[in-house]
Amino acid sequence: MPVKEFFKTLVPVELFQGLGVTGAYLFRKKETVQYPEKRLEPQDRFRGMFGYSLERCIDCHLCAKACPISIIHIKDHTEVEEVEGPDGKIKKKKTKVIDRYDIDVKRCMFCGLCEEACPTDEKSIWLTTKSYEGAVYERNEALYFDKERLGSWEGFVGFPGVKAPAEGQLPSDPLGKKKAAEGGA
Amino acid sequence: MPEAVLNLLLIPLIKIVVLLGVVLLIVAYLTYAERKILAYMQVRLGPNRVGPKGWLQPIADGLKLFVKEDLIPGGAERFVFLLAPGLIMVPALLMFAVIPFGEPFKVGGRTITPYLADVNIAILLLLGISSIGVFGIILGGWSSNSKFSLMGGLRSAAQMISYEIPMGFAVVSVLMMAGTLSLVGIVEAQRQAHIWFVLPGILAFGIYWICGVAETNRNPFDLPEAEAELVAGFHTEYSGMKFALFFLAEYANMMVISALATVMFFGGWLPPFPNLLAGLWASPVLAWIPGVVWFAAKMGFFLFCYIWFRGTFPRYRFDQLMAVGWKWLLPLSLANVMLVGVLMLWWKG
Repeated sequence: MPVKEFFKTLVPVELFQGLGVTGAYLFRKKETVQYPEKRLEPQDRFRGMFGYSLERCIDCHLCAKACPISIIHIKDHTEVEEVEGPDGKIKKKKTKVIDRYDIDVKRCMFCGLCEEACPTDEKSIWLTTKSYEGAVYERNEALYFDKERLGSWEGFVGFPGVKAPAEGQLPSDPLGKKKAAEGGA
Repeated sequence: MPEAVLNLLLIPLIKIVVLLGVVLLIVAYLTYAERKILAYMQVRLGPNRVGPKGWLQPIADGLKLFVKEDLIPGGAERFVFLLAPGLIMVPALLMFAVIPFGEPFKVGGRTITPYLADVNIAILLLLGISSIGVFGIILGGWSSNSKFSLMGGLRSAAQMISYEIPMGFAVVSVLMMAGTLSLVGIVEAQRQAHIWFVLPGILAFGIYWICGVAETNRNPFDLPEAEAELVAGFHTEYSGMKFALFFLAEYANMMVISALATVMFFGGWLPPFPNLLAGLWASPVLAWIPGVVWFAAKMGFFLFCYIWFRGTFPRYRFDQLMAVGWKWLLPLSLANVMLVGVLMLWWKG
């Protein structure tokens, strides 16, 4: 070992370097977010609580089939209506009416497969609502959402700035299509 | 009121009450400072919920420990188990009796010394009392009837005995420079020498500080309570107020080591560079600030260093710890005694 190196080992420079690092960190801006007062906004792709739009839903049951643990329960009936067509003939018009659209949220793992399966252009069911405060005291009642509840989030604390589904807020870019298009162009 | 009662009873009693109150208060807020500084070094905020900025956190902690259930393990040696926290806390508080915090001042024509006693063998007394603290740790560790406690106690005994020797030799070099064992005398000697003893005794200070950190079982020498391997070491089985006593004693010991470093190496209550800058800018400003403030500032810096080290250094392995103590610090401290002797001969001609 060269003499210079030997003397370097005698002086514990590294210890003081270490002290310097921690000393500098002492004055850094703190990263902590004081949670109940301040909230972090989740990323756009963050899968939070459900949004559901009864108007957009075409009653195709694809979400219920896509659900890996079958917690989406849909019941419907067909209403037949006689309407006058443009040529004057009377036609039978069938409409599907959703009686029941329930999600057993307490068992949900928020995989988002129902949203992926949804065929409507603007998704009828989506998880990108950025709402994550879903803790409740009684999970059987509070975390079983029927279609009214899904549409309005009654009694549910949403993320500030995120409107309830009934007010028609859509995920801005849930699948990242816009971003991909911008990137491609 | 007879003069004797006033001098021998009342004034010391008031001093004791004030000293105990201040020391325990500082100890309590040292825990707060430690949590806060460590948090800041880790880019966190630390306790800030109890009271404004978390100022009442130590009080909340104390209350919690008071009302907590006090468990004694089934297989524990009851008497020794109860004795151990006292054995560690009493010496820790006792040591403050001889530490001089400032210059004597006058109240109503009466000279009051801001220390309890100016013992002429103060350093010997301090070294003696501090070794009693080992008993508290090793007895607490043994009587808990738990493998973690026992190993923590044994480690602590080995560590404290090994590091007391180089520490003693580091102190010896200060004694050689000061020519007295009294702490007040050491500060006076620094005033007369116009220099802090840290300048001629930088090596002694380094050894003293490393040993002081090891003596108080703090990072990076906190093997007796290495949580990764020994849960909490010697106080694993202690709970409630008895645990709090171990905790307080650790912080009180930190304060003693810091105060001793201040007194022996950094001129105690003297302003920086005593008399060196007397004719320059420093004199009127520095003389106006009372000595207690200088003492507190210096001691506070050392206490901060304790916490700084904890936030920075990883723990030593046990064999490394022993190697550093016996193979490096002991020969180094012996050589330092020689060096200081030669320097003094050369200086005084």
